[in-house]
Amino acid sequence: MRVERELRPDRAADFRDCSAAVGAAAPPRLVVEALCKRFGARAALDDVSLSVASGELVAVLGPSGAGKSTLLRCCARLTEPDAGRILIDGRAIEHLAGGELARARHDIGLVFQQFNLIRRRTALDNVLTGRLGGMPLWRVVTRAFTADDIARAEAALSAVGLERHVGQRADTLSGGQQQRTAIARALAQESRVLLADEPVASLDPENAAAILDLLRRLAHDRGLAVLATLHQPELARRYADRIIQMREGHIVGPVRDDG
Amino acid sequence: MRRRDEASRRSIPGGTVVRWQPWLIGAVGVALYAACLHVADVSPARLWAGLPRLGQWAARAFPPDFSDLSTLLTRAAETVAMATVGASFGAALAVPLCVLAARNTSPSRLAYHPARLLLDGLRGIDSFIFALVLVAAVGLGPFAGVLGIALHSAGSIAKLWSEALEAVEPGPIEAAVMSGAGRAKVVAHALLPDALPQLASILLYMWEFNVRSSTVLGIVGAGGIGQELKNSVDLLLFDRVAAIVIIILAMVTAIDTLSAWARRRLS
Repeated sequence: MRVERELRPDRAADFRDCSAAVGAAAPPRLVVEALCKRFGARAALDDVSLSVASGELVAVLGPSGAGKSTLLRCCARLTEPDAGRILIDGRAIEHLAGGELARARHDIGLVFQQFNLIRRRTALDNVLTGRLGGMPLWRVVTRAFTADDIARAEAALSAVGLERHVGQRADTLSGGQQQRTAIARALAQESRVLLADEPVASLDPENAAAILDLLRRLAHDRGLAVLATLHQPELARRYADRIIQMREGHIVGPVRDDG
Repeated sequence: MRRRDEASRRSIPGGTVVRWQPWLIGAVGVALYAACLHVADVSPARLWAGLPRLGQWAARAFPPDFSDLSTLLTRAAETVAMATVGASFGAALAVPLCVLAARNTSPSRLAYHPARLLLDGLRGIDSFIFALVLVAAVGLGPFAGVLGIALHSAGSIAKLWSEALEAVEPGPIEAAVMSGAGRAKVVAHALLPDALPQLASILLYMWEFNVRSSTVLGIVGAGGIGQELKNSVDLLLFDRVAAIVIIILAMVTAIDTLSAWARRRLS
């Protein structure tokens, strides 16, 4: 069975009203303005500005060290930018702290390059991580998740074709399955923006194509603003609505047709 | 660096190059060790002179006297109970301490540094010394031993637990943070599952360590098999001493085996 057939992006309707998907003409959902970040003497990000609309998949291409991961981590506020603005649906989040920052993060799903799964926990437990923000602490401590949270996590796993691996420990899943679990975790969060840091870097070509197809469908069908960093121009050209190229912390413009 | 290397060499006529720094460090080391032997009053002659006395006592220790076995077993159980309750009380104290003393869970550096200072202080004072002081405060018996073990264990367990928490992979924690969860939820859902086997293994190790160390707490009046040992030595009842030593060896071996098995299962 081809991997694409296992993926179930058609389950998008289980989560969110698909009428939100309006394509690239929609107002920008994620806006980055003049973002700067230095690590010592090296400028990881230098005056980076971009926007991603609802329903749009934007790929950021560039070699290692171009600043792609730093850009995504700054957008998620996992790395603090030195200067610049980050807006989600028009609301600036770069100055937020504490509970306000936590609530803002709830609107930003992040798919990590290394999956970042809890290895000893099941796929379902890992996907439930995406629901933590809306749960009371006692439910998290006692692991008394509501039927609704479990149903949404199972639907997210089903959407990425892992409905038969719900109870399987994360460290026994294949690389592609782990990446799909990580995407399901971000889906279960029901965020408005999805950041994907090299989501196919460690996958074989078949799984890579399946994952990018899923991300594109999630953007188009659910109206998510998806910003994904990639290495491979051919994959970006095939799946992204728009391509941004980065080099040495700068945006150097859209990628040429010849890659 | 190169200049320093050259400075440590002296040419000997004939062309051989000698490094003098290793010789100097070696000479200082030997001198310090000799000073330690002198300060420690090490005397092979006195050991030689004392050997016949040791031989006599060893001869009087056999056969071991197990006639009062029920008392000795009760005292051994008391020792295990002291170690168990002491380790559990220590673990309870260590829970908040380790969270404050681990860089990735401490709410601020204002909490981190005092927490590290407190746990270093608790670790630095042996349970024997705590028990010595606490016997004066709460009276003779195992309770003073339990408190002594608990205070020392709290420091040791908190230090090892905080290091285990710091060693947890940051990835799943970042993933939980991105869900919009607060610190407590992140710790409960993403950090503890990864760290729990290691935390349990450390607790088992400390329990095993406490069983071994609590055998001597009786010497300061804090109960257990150690108290029987001291009484028997004071009365020169060497056959009873031999029986107590055998019981201690059996008890410690059983606990070590059980703990090692449980820790293997956890890993």
